[in-house]
Amino acid sequence: MAKILYVWTRDLHLYIGLFLSPFLLLFAISVFLLNHVRAPVSAVSATPAEVRVVRVPAGIEAAQGIERVQLAGEVISQLGISGEINFIRAVPKESRLVIPVVKPGVEAVVDLHVKEGTAKVSVRKTTFGESLSYLHRSPGPHNAAIRGNWFWTRAWQWLADATVYLVMFLSLSGIYLWAMLRAERTAGFILMLTGALTFAGIVYAVIS
Amino acid sequence: MQSFRSQSLELWNRRLHYYLGLYFLFFLWLFSFTGLLLNHPQWRFTNYWQDRKETQFETPLQPRGPLSELDRAREIMRELGLAGEIDWPAQKQTQGRLDFAVSRPGLLHRVSADLIQNRARISRIEVNAWGVMNVLHTFSGTRVNNPAATRDWTLTTVWVIAMDAVAAGLLLMVFSSYYMWYRLKPKRRMGLIALTTGIVTCAFFAVGLGWLR
Repeated sequence: MAKILYVWTRDLHLYIGLFLSPFLLLFAISVFLLNHVRAPVSAVSATPAEVRVVRVPAGIEAAQGIERVQLAGEVISQLGISGEINFIRAVPKESRLVIPVVKPGVEAVVDLHVKEGTAKVSVRKTTFGESLSYLHRSPGPHNAAIRGNWFWTRAWQWLADATVYLVMFLSLSGIYLWAMLRAERTAGFILMLTGALTFAGIVYAVIS
Repeated sequence: MQSFRSQSLELWNRRLHYYLGLYFLFFLWLFSFTGLLLNHPQWRFTNYWQDRKETQFETPLQPRGPLSELDRAREIMRELGLAGEIDWPAQKQTQGRLDFAVSRPGLLHRVSADLIQNRARISRIEVNAWGVMNVLHTFSGTRVNNPAATRDWTLTTVWVIAMDAVAAGLLLMVFSSYYMWYRLKPKRRMGLIALTTGIVTCAFFAVGLGWLR
């Protein structure tokens, strides 16, 4: 029984770890980008703003929150743009709505002139590094009421959550597999204890 | 028959994998768990902001000669006994005033100083353990939407070094796992399927979504 448990744990640890490894690489590499990249995000290529005629959904100016985002979604789909709609900025005096749309690789801003029925579209292609940083932060804690308004943002959230649960499994199964190696117990225990003390020491220094 | 060098490499590669995992275990759990919390702001039990403790007070400041905004902020912090990372407001400072925040995980001080009257109004905001954990995940002294923000507190730098070390450790663990898997011939086919599935899924999000109409 113990042998079967060991073999199954070892195989699951291996295969789940291999499946998860590209996600772990993504999250690990983007840590360096998020912690150290201070230069202003540079445009890889920004297309000149283009003005297009659109059919403006009724009530888009009066709508709020997710309802406004859904109506904005109708506008951006007419323009052939897809992505997560961020906080929409309203300029009531000019009857304008500024709709930022973002996804890995592309950032677009749709400046919707409601009365004229036109939209000025600016598109910027982002770098691969920016895409990794975006995915690391996505969906994130901000604008919770409207977040996940694009299917693929929700799909990524599901995968990011799955990454956490599977990392928990990998760490617990890793502890079990290490504990089975009697010859490594002392060295491993010392390292785990040292890691715990380092963790507690730094956290205590930062918060106290 | 494996050579001694090959056996030694295999042994030390395996050791590197679980030694790193054991050393960074608590860091990994913290960042994993807080990543989950940050992605679920709707979870009520972790909503720390509504349970914050906020107090306000006013205090006189010592008059000072002309100083840069950063030096003046540091002087004020020293006078008030505050320590932490300085956050500047997005807008430019008003003449004769200095507004800034001093933050550390769990504690935020918003300082609004009148440099003509030499008085400061301070808002002290304390959050619970959920708030501390949330902030630890993102506490780097930099802002994605504000490239001008820089680290100015030593302990922020220490925490960033810890975050970088965890990320570097994770990279090493992933690459050591590839080597261990490669050495297990009977597991290569199934492992390749698992790895390819992971790469395709991840690449779809990192690269493919940009091409999606």
